[in-house]
Amino acid sequence: MKAKEYKPLPDQAAPISTIGVIAWLRNNLFSSPFNIAVTIVIVAVLMAIVPGMLDWLIFSANWSGTTQADCVKDGACWVFISAWSQQIFYGSYPDGEIWRVNLSLMLLAGVIALSFILPARLRNKVSVPAYLFLPFVCLLILDGSHIGLRQVTTDLWGGFSLNILIAAASIIIAFPFGFLWALGRQSDMPFARSVSVTCIEFFRGTPILALFFMGSVMLPLFFPADVSVDKLLRVWIILILFMSAYMAEVFRSGFAAIPKGQYEAADSLGLGYWQKTLLIIFPQVIKVSMPNILATFVMVFKNTVFLLVIAVPEMLQVIMAALSNSNWLGGHAIEGYLFVGFIFWICCFSMSLLATSIEKKLDTSHKH
Amino acid sequence: MSTDQQAIQSTNDKEIIVIKDMNKWYGNFHVLKDINLTVKKGERIVVCGPSGSGKSTMIRCINRLEEFQRGSLTVNGVEMIDDVKNIEAIRKEVGMVFQHFNLFPHLSILDNLTLGPIWVQKRPKAEAEATAMKYLERVKIPDQALKFPGQLSGGQQQRVAIARSLCMSPEIMLFDEPTSALDPEMIKEVLDVMVELANEGMTMICVTHEMGFAKKVADRVIFMDGGEIVEQNTPHEFFDHPETDRLQLFLSQILQH
Repeated sequence: MKAKEYKPLPDQAAPISTIGVIAWLRNNLFSSPFNIAVTIVIVAVLMAIVPGMLDWLIFSANWSGTTQADCVKDGACWVFISAWSQQIFYGSYPDGEIWRVNLSLMLLAGVIALSFILPARLRNKVSVPAYLFLPFVCLLILDGSHIGLRQVTTDLWGGFSLNILIAAASIIIAFPFGFLWALGRQSDMPFARSVSVTCIEFFRGTPILALFFMGSVMLPLFFPADVSVDKLLRVWIILILFMSAYMAEVFRSGFAAIPKGQYEAADSLGLGYWQKTLLIIFPQVIKVSMPNILATFVMVFKNTVFLLVIAVPEMLQVIMAALSNSNWLGGHAIEGYLFVGFIFWICCFSMSLLATSIEKKLDTSHKH
Repeated sequence: MSTDQQAIQSTNDKEIIVIKDMNKWYGNFHVLKDINLTVKKGERIVVCGPSGSGKSTMIRCINRLEEFQRGSLTVNGVEMIDDVKNIEAIRKEVGMVFQHFNLFPHLSILDNLTLGPIWVQKRPKAEAEATAMKYLERVKIPDQALKFPGQLSGGQQQRVAIARSLCMSPEIMLFDEPTSALDPEMIKEVLDVMVELANEGMTMICVTHEMGFAKKVADRVIFMDGGEIVEQNTPHEFFDHPETDRLQLFLSQILQH
């Protein structure tokens, strides 16, 4: 018997009311009387604010020029930012040596990129040492005196590059420290445990501002008069300790998420303590802690603006100095602070995106 | 000559595990009471009993996942004392398979198997991988070598766990309820592997309620309750002529269905 021929029905266009812009508007903005009211109010508010804002920010803004006198229009005076841009990004770092700052930033970007590009087998062997050496390599490059370059003392370092580099240098060193403190906190050895708990609770329970003041004002009192520890070095150490305490707590919650069976399986294979910790527990802790680790990074990065209270010329400090410069007394505070906020937002938002991609990359659990 | 071959050839009356008057407390709770047990090389022992009877705790004491407070334990001539080197030496002789598999989720199946040989026994990577593939073939899943544990079924994961222990060429295998977390259809594939292992002369202590397995391979069946060994006998005597009323009750309850 000959089978009946099967002819698929042709596809038909969806009803116009369920797709496209109109359906989207209806579903999202006008789905109920309450939503209609909310939409109208929001649109009204936006219409009242946005045109003026855009006008001030862009259309009536002053874009070109070099001095305050060039800001003749009503809008924002972006000339203020462009005129000060070198200080904003590099502080007082000498003109001819700025390539060293750029090189350090590129090394940082390179090491981060490397850890994404490298295949899994090489990643741990290459990236971990690369990260750990990076702060010290940058230190050598920026200071210069040990590698035959002109010495640039740390009081000249500054601007946004300083925010980035000191945050990165603190995060990198704080990572192993935080892990050791977290291990110490759950250790059986009373000494290791009490030292870890004391450190974690002290640095977590003290505001970062207080720590900076302590580091810059109080610590030198305890040193002999002829010993001077560089201010930036003290700040770096404080940031490392502060960050380590937070990382330790992040890792602790990661440890708590690892099932007891993982430890037992590692034990029953005869792995030693460090093998078990580094090969079995640590990779899993990193994975479950990733969102919190990145949140802590963002926090420390933003906290670097507090360095201004002890007169370290980071970006916000530079802006404030520029605002009180006698050639720029025209009240450019809004432009300055908006710019700082915008730059930090761009960086933190990129870090969030990075975090999401790392989480996807690390996910081998195939949960259903 | 590999260690397993030696194990088969020298199957004699050597006492490989000797437990004497072992007592253990959790705080004030007395979990193990005067446990005395001697296991000869190549012997297959099944331990059963109601939950909370201390059977898992007892076998976990053998590779020091649990500490005991009184008594003594000797494994393959090494007495268990509170010393890291000593504990690690004993753990190298003893493989363990857990109820919940406990594979390492961040490592591929192959890496799960080669981790111990490479890091504990310091064997070259290529050799460790060859051994791993040999054991994966024995548990009949060589094609899963590059997958991650999360992608395998429970039965497959448990067979990987068995292979992982075997890669360390242990003298003794401990099984802690290896089939309790598995779907009925997967129990058989795991038991088949265990039966095969038993037939090859591996010394095994197995906590399980699979009475068919006990009848088929066990040299001795042990019944525990309340932290003590109530009765031990050959499977035939154990099931057909239980001596104590407690075991009679236990058997009548588990064999009714």
